[in-house]
Amino acid sequence: MAAQRTRQPTRRWRQVVRTPLGAGASLLMALVLLLALVAPMLWTDQADAVDTGNILAGPSAEHWAGTDNLGRDILFRSLVAARLSVGLALTATAIAIVLGLLLGTAPMLLGRRLGRLVTASVDIAVAFPGLLLALFFAVIFGVGARGAVLAIGIAGAPSFARLVHTLVAGVAARDYVAAARAAGVGRVRVLLRHVLPNISEPLIVNATIGAGGALLSFAGLSFLGLGVQAPQYDWGRLLFDGIGALYVNPAAALAPGLTVLLAGLAFNLFGESVAKGLGVATLGHLPERRSAGPATSGPPTIRAEEPVVAGDDEAPVLDVRDLWVSFPGADGPVQPVRGVSFAVRRGEAVGVVGESGSGKSLTALAVSRLIEEPGRVEAARLQLLGADLRTGSERAQRQLLGTSLAMVFQDPMTSFNPTRRMGGQLAEVARQHQGMTRRDAFGRAVDRLAAVRIPEARRRAGQYPHEFSGGMRQRAMIGMGLMGSPALIIADEPTTALDVTVQQQVLDLLQAIREADDVALVLISHDVTVVGEVCDRVLVMYAGRIVEDLAAADLATGAAHPYTRALVAAVPDMETDLEQPLAVVPGRPVAPGEVPAGCAYAARCPLADDRCRAEDPQLASFETPDHRVACWHAGEPIPVDGPREPAPVDPVELVEVDAP
Amino acid sequence: MSTPRPTSQSARPTGRPTAELRFEDVTVRYGSARRGHTAVDRVSLTVPPGQVVGLVGESGSGKSTLARAAVGLAPLTGGRVLLGGAPVPTRGRRRPLQMVFQDPYSSLDPRMTIGDSIAEAIPPGPSREERRAEVARLLELVHLDPDRAAVRPGLLSGGQRQRVALARALAGDPQVVIADEITSALDVSIQGAVLNLVRELQRELGLSMLFISHNLAVVRYVASHVAVMRDGVIVEEGPAARVLADPHHDYTRALLAAVPGTRTPRRTP
Repeated sequence: MAAQRTRQPTRRWRQVVRTPLGAGASLLMALVLLLALVAPMLWTDQADAVDTGNILAGPSAEHWAGTDNLGRDILFRSLVAARLSVGLALTATAIAIVLGLLLGTAPMLLGRRLGRLVTASVDIAVAFPGLLLALFFAVIFGVGARGAVLAIGIAGAPSFARLVHTLVAGVAARDYVAAARAAGVGRVRVLLRHVLPNISEPLIVNATIGAGGALLSFAGLSFLGLGVQAPQYDWGRLLFDGIGALYVNPAAALAPGLTVLLAGLAFNLFGESVAKGLGVATLGHLPERRSAGPATSGPPTIRAEEPVVAGDDEAPVLDVRDLWVSFPGADGPVQPVRGVSFAVRRGEAVGVVGESGSGKSLTALAVSRLIEEPGRVEAARLQLLGADLRTGSERAQRQLLGTSLAMVFQDPMTSFNPTRRMGGQLAEVARQHQGMTRRDAFGRAVDRLAAVRIPEARRRAGQYPHEFSGGMRQRAMIGMGLMGSPALIIADEPTTALDVTVQQQVLDLLQAIREADDVALVLISHDVTVVGEVCDRVLVMYAGRIVEDLAAADLATGAAHPYTRALVAAVPDMETDLEQPLAVVPGRPVAPGEVPAGCAYAARCPLADDRCRAEDPQLASFETPDHRVACWHAGEPIPVDGPREPAPVDPVELVEVDAP
Repeated sequence: MSTPRPTSQSARPTGRPTAELRFEDVTVRYGSARRGHTAVDRVSLTVPPGQVVGLVGESGSGKSTLARAAVGLAPLTGGRVLLGGAPVPTRGRRRPLQMVFQDPYSSLDPRMTIGDSIAEAIPPGPSREERRAEVARLLELVHLDPDRAAVRPGLLSGGQRQRVALARALAGDPQVVIADEITSALDVSIQGAVLNLVRELQRELGLSMLFISHNLAVVRYVASHVAVMRDGVIVEEGPAARVLADPHHDYTRALLAAVPGTRTPRRTP
């Protein structure tokens, strides 16, 4: 299932405060805002009290940070200045945001030609350093608080506009915006209803950080004498006054300096922690397919009775017994693979079919040791060519997997490093695992590319992945697996991203490799027809279990499990009766976190009875030893009451899609 | 899914006649004149009133671009798209041509309830109450529980989302619907239900439909006419039965030969 992108916004914001940094930053932020609010009410009198008898005094019990040239208390003045400093900074930020939003969304609202003009001007403005722009505008608008606010606001606008523009462009490319526009919704409405809500979070984060920047810029302008003018004072102004008396009373400059520092820190840290909190939540977490980190903590090792010799014709290439994969979930561990057992013989092609979430891909990843922390793999037996994959050093395992097992993934683009030439990437495998020299390895890479029928292999080896078409990349991926001498190829939806004609070429290639070198193949696919065509044997998975294990030739007519039969019937082929509605598997697949008691398929099954709902059937032989089914009603005729009428209204079942 | 047989409710709710969608010499080019790329090259194609035309082709063949050009999401470089003899309106609130997108996970705004998403596509006019009733009717039409209009798409499965997307397209009271690979992102067990729904709606509402897919078996099941597109050009066109049984063009033959399951399955060793 596609990773879930929506989460409750409140939950995400709560996550911001949960980290120590986030909590600290929020507290600091609250203090600064509180100070800005109450300080002038409480201490204006003390701050303005002139004490001519005590001019330019150093720190004392009466005046902690000393006094200025009129004998006013510098500490109180620093505290009272918080309101003006923070207020001006926030005003300037508001100006930058409003201008930035207008400029950033203009390209979408104005159409292509005018929009391009706006974008170009923003791009030019971004190229100028912000402080330079601020100084430039400060000169135009005149010296004083108002001029400085306008200057800093306008100077901050271009970078904000650029950000808005990029974010808007990202959301505007999504289908729901296209759908709204195709439905005749106006541009302004699309902007307000679809685009802005979906970019609000990064904007808020950047506005917070921007406010910190504005605060510092303002202090800078005032310090230069271009900002706030006496008798008004902000932190920059106090700093300006304090610097003159630095040798007499260092505290006079330190006090306002410290407040600027703290306030700037509060804004920036708060912005950063918000960004972090929101960012973490939006990324989500799914097991990656890279980096073989062994996460096994298997049950006590069960020794295979007879150590199997690799290459023995009788021994299976892959032997899996009682394989479990679990991930920590919000309410206890989730087990997407629940006790899978199967073996693959030398040269055999085994297909694994099932819907998304059935655990078929995780089974493959577990076998190839690609399940990352926090995922856990447990098995009673997990052997490749007789070698135990659960124990042994990581190095030895990598050696074995690197040379004997080839993995082919769905998206060949992400499987290659885009910045390196194909030949070098293939050669690396041989240098790593077989200790070949650079020259030999490259020669082998060219040879393997030719073996997977890539024309002009030598020239192609010098090209980058993006210069390959999708089908060719997938063939190169297979070629990479062939750099060693694999006994097993695991292909996870290898043709799903490819066109039908290309799909056929890739399937043919896999077939040819199998026949040439007696390589075993595990082909994982959601497409029953593909699996039925390529494989000898098919494993049907449902809710993390194998529910049927049968010969591919029997798929169409000899399947015994009601799920297999429904799956086969649901796919239209070139002989489907056009007058009848397609058979439908009612209901929906079981999510890994909510497997019911009894048979997981019972809720969707036309044969289900009370026993099915209470007792989970085990995989057992059915009619022949090679045909295994997990069903209490295997092979029973499915009641036909005409085309099955579904409930007229399919109630929307709620699912928690946040499951890992 | 119930059998798509004509029923007493088969009259369209508004009684608007269905119309013919006609592409005349449509060309879509991207980039500059010299270094550009012609995605659709002088394509002429007619979707007869009340019929489903299947548009088949591989990725990059230009079939999605053709669809986007029809609803105004891709700029026409040349040619016209006519609906019932008049240019398809690509401005204003009335859109008699509606489109359903491929990926149900990105075609619904994650922050909007499904009811709001559907209501948004209803042309202005009806009161708030009437809109709510219309949303309920549309949800029922696609076999979803109308009480769930306040649910956000994050809580729905792919198949259910695609039904919401269909309901949204129907909310615009279209004469023609373009369905762009609407089942390719779905699991096979759900694909069947969506295809049944498409056939049922098309027959009940008498819609004209351009059904785009790379899957010939799916197109065969839904469409009465088939057009095969390659490199921006339509290479073959005709009644589905004829094109699929007796293809004239080599490329159509190659496509048919590549359909999985058409070759003899392997025997067990």
